[in-house]
Amino acid sequence: MRLILLGLLGLLFAGCTTTSVPTSTKAVCPTPDPMTLTWDGFGQGFMTEFCNDCHSSTLPHSERNGAPLFHDYDMLMTVLEIPDHIDQWAGAGPAATNTIMPPPRCPSMPGGAIDRDCPQPTQQQRTDLSVWLACEVNRPHTF
Amino acid sequence: MHDLHQSVAAGRTTGSGRRIAAAALVGWFAPLTPGVARADHDMATMSENHQDGSELSIGLAVEAARFEDTLYVGSYQGVTPSLGWMRGRFGASAAIGLYHLTENGLSTYGAGDAMLGGHLVVIERETVRAGVALHVMFPTGSELDNLGMGHTMAMPSAWATWRSAPLTVAASAGYGRALVDLGGGGHDHGPSPLVDPMNVQEVTWSAAADVDLGHGMQVGGRARGGVPIGTGHTRAIGGGRLAWGSPRISTGLEIQVGLAGDPFTIRGVVDTALRF
Repeated sequence: MRLILLGLLGLLFAGCTTTSVPTSTKAVCPTPDPMTLTWDGFGQGFMTEFCNDCHSSTLPHSERNGAPLFHDYDMLMTVLEIPDHIDQWAGAGPAATNTIMPPPRCPSMPGGAIDRDCPQPTQQQRTDLSVWLACEVNRPHTF
Repeated sequence: MHDLHQSVAAGRTTGSGRRIAAAALVGWFAPLTPGVARADHDMATMSENHQDGSELSIGLAVEAARFEDTLYVGSYQGVTPSLGWMRGRFGASAAIGLYHLTENGLSTYGAGDAMLGGHLVVIERETVRAGVALHVMFPTGSELDNLGMGHTMAMPSAWATWRSAPLTVAASAGYGRALVDLGGGGHDHGPSPLVDPMNVQEVTWSAAADVDLGHGMQVGGRARGGVPIGTGHTRAIGGGRLAWGSPRISTGLEIQVGLAGDPFTIRGVVDTALRF
């Protein structure tokens, strides 16, 4: 009986995992907005390189490799629907450096099988991401 | 989990048919994890002839489900071993689910949140039994992989059963709360985790009715759910159960549907428990 108890306890703790916690970076946009980080000059390229193989509005659920629906970063409009979420999962700033995304493994092409190591942003790129988001949410948009 | 308790109470008074009925009810009250329910049910059924000694039970639940919520479409399969212990009015259980989860095309394997529980039978009458329980879920499952809550959950509850052969009716109510600061107000990722969603703070409820069919068989209906306190998703599940067995071993088949809150669209659970 004791052996069974010990076995169950071992099984319980064998499943323990450590996970990163999404955290706001507290990045702020300089005042006045220097307009050095923009969608055309930074955001779109960042998303294309690191995110859109899974987070794209063109991908059906079965080809998103786990990316939630409505988390699409191929358009500025949809990026700005969840800027805080992006900051908390991939951005860097005074309060945190979040490296939850991109994941370790990625598809070679949008919607494809996971078959390669994901390219990872540099620390500077993550910092720029959070600052850009902090600036972009306050800029005027027509959509 | 409350189920366990109920079943315990029911199990003591009469024969194997009653115990099996109790077991069925027990399984349902467990908040989420099928294995937990089984562990509880084991405890419930164990107690009949061993009020002066300890009883141990081991259980195994196998489940398969499909889900489709706002953000995720997919399925999961799980295996949940469980362990139950009971002595007199007191009981304890432990369980952990091991899952294969497919979410939006991504296949993941991993453990869910582990659960430990304890219960106490407070009222024992000829037809009515009632008690209290406390279950705690530990964040052994990955929150990022949608396999766990990401924090410890405490879930006190109260339960009661009424039996007039061949009918057994049971109900429970409880409160679940994450042992973290609830002021976060983060981005809503829908029902989470996918394998057994809960709110960070909620009122839980369950109801069940079973009828003995004779020859150790029992059929019944189930409903349970959670109502968030603050932000969250109201959740409701309904199902039917067929159980059969003996005092030593029992097996149940349950088909469940998600009625509200997208816990899953349909889920099938087969559980078996061995008592000794």
